[in-house]
Amino acid sequence: MINVVLTGIGGQGTVLAAKILAQAAQNRGYHVRTAETIGMSQRGGSVVSHVRMGNGGERVASPLVSNGQADILIAFEPGEAARVLPLLKKDGVLVTASRVVQPVTASLSKTLYEAAPVIEALQAREGKTVVVDEAPLLEEVGNPKALNIILLTVAMGCGVLGLTQDEFRQAVSECLKPRFVEMNLKAIDIVNERLGLV
Amino acid sequence: MTTRLLMGNEAFAHAALEAGVRVVAGYPGTPSSEVVETVAKLHAAGSAKGVHVEWSTNEKAALELLAGASYAGARTLFTCKQMGLNVASDALLSLNYVGVEGGCVLFVADDPGPISSQTEQDTRRFADFAKVPVLDPANVEQGMDMMGEAFALSERYRTPVIVRSTTRVSHSSTFADVADETQAMQPAGFTKDDSRFVIFPARARRGHVEINERLVWISREASGDAGDWETPNGGRPGDLSRFNPVCQHGEDPKLGIVCGGVSTEYAREALAMLSQAGELPAYRFMQIGVPFPFPDQVADAFCEGLEQIFVCEELDCVIEDALRRLMGDRAIEGKPVARVMGRRSGDAPSVGENTSDDLRARLARFLGVEDPAAAGEGFDTASVAVPPRPPVLCAGCPHRGSFYAAKRALKKMKLRGVFHGDIGCYTLGNAKPLDAVDTCLCMGAGITMAQGMGVADPEAKHLAFVGDSTFFASGMTGVANAVYNQHDITICVLDNSTTAMTGGQPHPGTGAMLMGPQTESLTIEGVLGALGVESVQIANPHDLQESIDAITRAVSFEGPSAVIFRAPCVNLFRSAAKAAISEETCTGCKRCITSIGCPAIGYNGKVAVIDPAQCNGCGLCTQVCPFDAITVGGAE
Repeated sequence: MINVVLTGIGGQGTVLAAKILAQAAQNRGYHVRTAETIGMSQRGGSVVSHVRMGNGGERVASPLVSNGQADILIAFEPGEAARVLPLLKKDGVLVTASRVVQPVTASLSKTLYEAAPVIEALQAREGKTVVVDEAPLLEEVGNPKALNIILLTVAMGCGVLGLTQDEFRQAVSECLKPRFVEMNLKAIDIVNERLGLV
Repeated sequence: MTTRLLMGNEAFAHAALEAGVRVVAGYPGTPSSEVVETVAKLHAAGSAKGVHVEWSTNEKAALELLAGASYAGARTLFTCKQMGLNVASDALLSLNYVGVEGGCVLFVADDPGPISSQTEQDTRRFADFAKVPVLDPANVEQGMDMMGEAFALSERYRTPVIVRSTTRVSHSSTFADVADETQAMQPAGFTKDDSRFVIFPARARRGHVEINERLVWISREASGDAGDWETPNGGRPGDLSRFNPVCQHGEDPKLGIVCGGVSTEYAREALAMLSQAGELPAYRFMQIGVPFPFPDQVADAFCEGLEQIFVCEELDCVIEDALRRLMGDRAIEGKPVARVMGRRSGDAPSVGENTSDDLRARLARFLGVEDPAAAGEGFDTASVAVPPRPPVLCAGCPHRGSFYAAKRALKKMKLRGVFHGDIGCYTLGNAKPLDAVDTCLCMGAGITMAQGMGVADPEAKHLAFVGDSTFFASGMTGVANAVYNQHDITICVLDNSTTAMTGGQPHPGTGAMLMGPQTESLTIEGVLGALGVESVQIANPHDLQESIDAITRAVSFEGPSAVIFRAPCVNLFRSAAKAAISEETCTGCKRCITSIGCPAIGYNGKVAVIDPAQCNGCGLCTQVCPFDAITVGGAE
């Protein structure tokens, strides 16, 4: 079983990223279940997506990943990574964006919410932690909505998803509206090249 | 056939269409809304042929409409969330006495937690109360099977049938095979029979006998006891026993595990993890997929030889109570009984969602084995605090200006105001710093609660905030009451041209039907005027002064008054304009943050900053800044 958890803020594109992974796993012939946060929490609140793939030919029972069972956690915001960390295996891989998004609660409070101490604390963990400097990549891709594909590409490069690059690209082509496919495939190339992943 | 990744609700819509459903109606509510949306999408794409689908004004309207269609022989599907069934309950209870002709299925999505609801009510319990059969899927695939079967069951016994889902079934996805094209079954048309379709006391008495008879038959079907009776529609009995599957691990078990809904999958997951850690003692396992009428025969056979039974279910203790009743029956007959453990006995949490983690620990104890709990990583919150991130009104949301203007107006008038809220995105107006929702009860209640509190606390001014969709769903009756009984309240209709909270569904005020052409829209000012509200103001909530003036006029009016705050939801219309803060002019006073709390405005320790990725250029912040430090740049 490969367990993936994606977390971020409502509107950042975690749902589509989960769909792409599910499609890639399905193309491989795995049984797949996913679960999403839908409804009130989507209004700028914390959201979590679960993707479970039966890579040993097994059937997936629960759509949710249990505590300490995620092989990889893909976070669209470092504070959200911290919040969901209990789902990740101790030696699991964490891929996180580096820019913090200020919630209203933080702007109202006297203490500043900043990226550096959160990222430092995340990097102190036992398992592999990849902090993505997404700003230059987003700029080169030229679309602020591409954060999901950037993080997925980095996650693919970590090798724990058990999917090939071709399966990943094929799933991107199947899940996106045709007019967005080329931009996203190009984004994958840019990330792989800049970070020397493939 | 195509294999597609489908969310539970999407899959259930496909299954209903494949069963030939002819009329689909409901009212949006998380976690149920995607069923109607999927039917509408497939109709628009031309693949769902012959189906009529609509968002009705509320759940009661939807179910009554479907009752009419069913009497004429059409297969019908109703959808709502758990509280929606409360609204439709008047229709449902009588409909059950009259009975149906075309299969009539109610898809009701419950919300353990609750995650996005006011109550943790259990539709399985409601089904018992209403004497209507209910099917309860453990996963998406089983739910599809149940949806198809529900139509046949409904027609066999002329009974409405509830398919009860929960958030984790409705909003989880898996790959399923679905038909590329579906065709609605053509109904025979209505045949007059006033001995059947007109409910009088004598009809109701006969109806109650019919209900009690069919519930016995359906319970037998649920146990796989397909005897040789003729069903009310002249057909043969079916077999529902596949929804109550039993399996056994080891020989001669003394322990039993009985599950309902998604907890079945959590328990399977937990047992798989426990068995990896070591050998498990013998146990018997059962899912109750037909919780009402309870499958007494198969459950009784399941209990044979067992000493203890652990029940895994969410919300109410429906299965646990049924098993306790069964144990009572067994004791009376002198048979051995098992101890039943669950929510009522205190052996499981009495509220909230179940999880595989919690069930694994409890099942480990129950089975007498060690729990190999794999604790996840913690985060050192002592060294680095991560601020909470609750849902908020979007950047640029028009509701923010409406609430803020109302607060400002009452402050200027030196009046104490009580703000009665309602169900929708605007409930989020209660968060700091707006802090502008003082009460919230149920759909439409703000308008009527304001009237009652006005009687009991007349020194305060009572304002009721209601959304446009909610206004049509259940607000209008309250407005009529205010005019009839002369209550001095101010109704603030937050008209953003959509049902925003549930994902942007149309409603009577938008004039957009699910199935096609734009129709004449009902205007809120027209309805308010027709109901006799004499003072009706209209204001743009992004214009602070205009909004303050409108509230001031309405609150000053003696008798029921109204303000319609009109601006589209940011999810319908996004402006390319962005606000910007001059670093030189900004004094860092944080007024923009502490007054309106827009998520696009942050603070860097010296000055306020705008996140252009979130800003929608509504300009409200430019009107609250005391130093004119914020400007909105023109659209590119």
